[in-house]
Amino acid sequence: MRQRHIFGQVFTLESIIAGVVFVVVLAVFGYALLRRRAGRPVDPSQRSERPRLESYYVGVLGAFAVFLVAWTAWQNHREHQSADRPPVRVDVTGFQWCWTFAYPQATERRSVSGTCRGDDLPTLVVPTGRPVQLKLTSKDVIHSLWVPDLRYKMDAFPHHTNTLTLTLDREGRWMGKCAEFCGHLHYSMHFWIKAVSPEEYDNWLHSGAGQAVAS
Amino acid sequence: MTSAPPSTEETAAGKPVAPGGWLGWVTSTDHKRIGLLTIGTSLVLFVLVGILALIMRAQLAQPEQDLVGVDTYNQLFTIHGSGMIYMVLTPFAIGMGVYLVPLQIGAPGIAMPRLTLLGYWLYVFGAIVMLAGFATPNGAHADGWFSYPPMADSVHSPSVGSDLWIVGVFLATTGSIVMGWAVLWTVLRKRTQGMTMLRLPVFSWSMVVTCLMVIGAFPALLAALVVLAVGRADPSLFVSNVWNIGYQHLFWFYGHPVVYVMFFPYLAAVAEVLAVFSGRRFFGYRGTVLSLLVFAALSMSVWGHHMFATGQAANDYYSLTSIVLLVPAGVEYFGMLGTILGGRLRFRPPMLFALAFIPQFLIGGLTGIMVGTPVIDYHVTDSYFIVAHLHYVLFAGSAFGLFAAIYFWFPKVSGVMLSERGGRLHFWLLVLGTNLTFLPMFALGYEGMPRRVWTYAAFDGFGLFNLLSSIGAAFLAAATVVFIVNVLWTLRQREHGRAEPAPDDPWGAHTLEWATTSPPPRHNFTPEHPIPPITSFAPLLDLRRRRQKEAADSGSRS
Repeated sequence: MRQRHIFGQVFTLESIIAGVVFVVVLAVFGYALLRRRAGRPVDPSQRSERPRLESYYVGVLGAFAVFLVAWTAWQNHREHQSADRPPVRVDVTGFQWCWTFAYPQATERRSVSGTCRGDDLPTLVVPTGRPVQLKLTSKDVIHSLWVPDLRYKMDAFPHHTNTLTLTLDREGRWMGKCAEFCGHLHYSMHFWIKAVSPEEYDNWLHSGAGQAVAS
Repeated sequence: MTSAPPSTEETAAGKPVAPGGWLGWVTSTDHKRIGLLTIGTSLVLFVLVGILALIMRAQLAQPEQDLVGVDTYNQLFTIHGSGMIYMVLTPFAIGMGVYLVPLQIGAPGIAMPRLTLLGYWLYVFGAIVMLAGFATPNGAHADGWFSYPPMADSVHSPSVGSDLWIVGVFLATTGSIVMGWAVLWTVLRKRTQGMTMLRLPVFSWSMVVTCLMVIGAFPALLAALVVLAVGRADPSLFVSNVWNIGYQHLFWFYGHPVVYVMFFPYLAAVAEVLAVFSGRRFFGYRGTVLSLLVFAALSMSVWGHHMFATGQAANDYYSLTSIVLLVPAGVEYFGMLGTILGGRLRFRPPMLFALAFIPQFLIGGLTGIMVGTPVIDYHVTDSYFIVAHLHYVLFAGSAFGLFAAIYFWFPKVSGVMLSERGGRLHFWLLVLGTNLTFLPMFALGYEGMPRRVWTYAAFDGFGLFNLLSSIGAAFLAAATVVFIVNVLWTLRQREHGRAEPAPDDPWGAHTLEWATTSPPPRHNFTPEHPIPPITSFAPLLDLRRRRQKEAADSGSRS
């Protein structure tokens, strides 16, 4: 859940900064509205610019932009560090209008799909604590795999494979959605992602009788 | 040497067109008429495609509703977005330039008037062709305003409406490019004596920068549409990923500059209004002009930030250029806040809209920095967070600038004053409606509601915020009705000669268009209404100051 963690840090910091900027602008704005209204004994200023103040201000903005660019780029790289352990691999295929999850590391070929109609949603089963590499592609148009609770999405293109690595640190079940408009049933193209303990995962993967987990 | 003109015979073919009739209007080479046609057409389309959004808000007001079918809904959001961007905010912005720029620079007309008229016609035909999709058996195009292939190819979007969408957008955009050239050429070649580049009003500068982006970036959209058209003829084109991702690059090379095309003219209208109703010249003129140019240059290097989630863009680079935009944006806020801080503020209707622009657009701008950060964008892109962000930019920002401009220049254009009470009611309904509609969408996107969904499940928990948003949309509808009634009523009163006539300069304004009559004569300035000396970017303010000083001097001498 590194994505969720890093998103949380960056989003919190940027929200605080944005909030402070908004409040400061609002304070200046409110001051002008109250103190400079025509009913009060004020005269319009004759001063048309303050180049010195403005250049200091631009300097501050520039320095702040440099910090923001560097820090967020660093966070982005931290989020995408490749796993040092051999990852669990799942091949994800989007199609109009559902998903297929295939597990190439299983002893028997195993793949899970559904219709995405009503309760027939496919479940992506992954172990906790181990990096899971999703190979993401599409059979027809562009889809996008989004798990809102993990704060991450990536597009699934036809004739192209995208890779994303997730590590889930606790057991649970979360809903995933398609985020790229893909036609008629785009609005219902949901799936489940379910994290189970590594032992349970291995049993399920190699037994061939683990459908109970996937449903 | 003089020679008598050859005698003409009265034939039907040689008869001049009556200037007052409709044919006189649609064949006019008067930049004011072409500008008004463009603005009027885009306002009609604003109402039409705005109604599409109201239907969408009704459908989303409650979970699992079936007010309109899913295929209809997909057409609604496609034509709403395409209409507002290609056919409303862009043409309105350029139309303002066509009307105002020759006046502001003291020119008798626009450069290339016939080409400008052609641009208007291309725009109108484009809009009609796109909307004609609704009359075809499978309805209008249904793949969003950016219509990525392969979803938009003939296999996945087989309807004729999609072909009409391509043709319509192509025509309208060609029209915008043609008009952009005319406005730019006018500024460069037709300025009156003394009107140096650094004495151009802020609005005219914004049009220079806007037209540079139109000329530089809009052809990329035409190229993208050609790719789409070829791919619809032969869908095997999109078997190659290069064309799928290549389309996105071409599209967004247009798609980000267009945001600033839909922003700068409105920002500059706000700047003019703020300065006039603060009773002072605009603060930080040179910094603002420079920031507009920097903004435009950066605008063509940020497009990849729309593609962070594709896994096929250089995210660090596009994040860098996007975040750096906060510097020129900060300079613009410096100018606007500096203007009102040193002003003596009069809260007339144009000023109300201009003032609301400041905090409301700021929300769009600050969330823009967020979505320019890849780590945040991965989560919120293609969600309602983006819908909220772009509506804060384009509606809470640009549309408020648009209305500020209408209330400000209406007396000049029509020769009569708009009702002040109607303006205030419109303003307060619009502020309430805007924030009630779009603020909850930030939360919806954060919580996981994707954009372009026909409905959502009851257990998603999106019901309350969607309901609030839909109630807000009702306020927006009410505000727009007030606006339409106000304008139409005033124009009708004018027909009967009962409207309050507008003086040349009702607001105590700064720029040359206020030196001539309301409405301006055919060639803008006459010997009775000459162009005053151009002493700065606010010549009328200088003129008033000089006269005050002279009056004071002669008063002290006597």
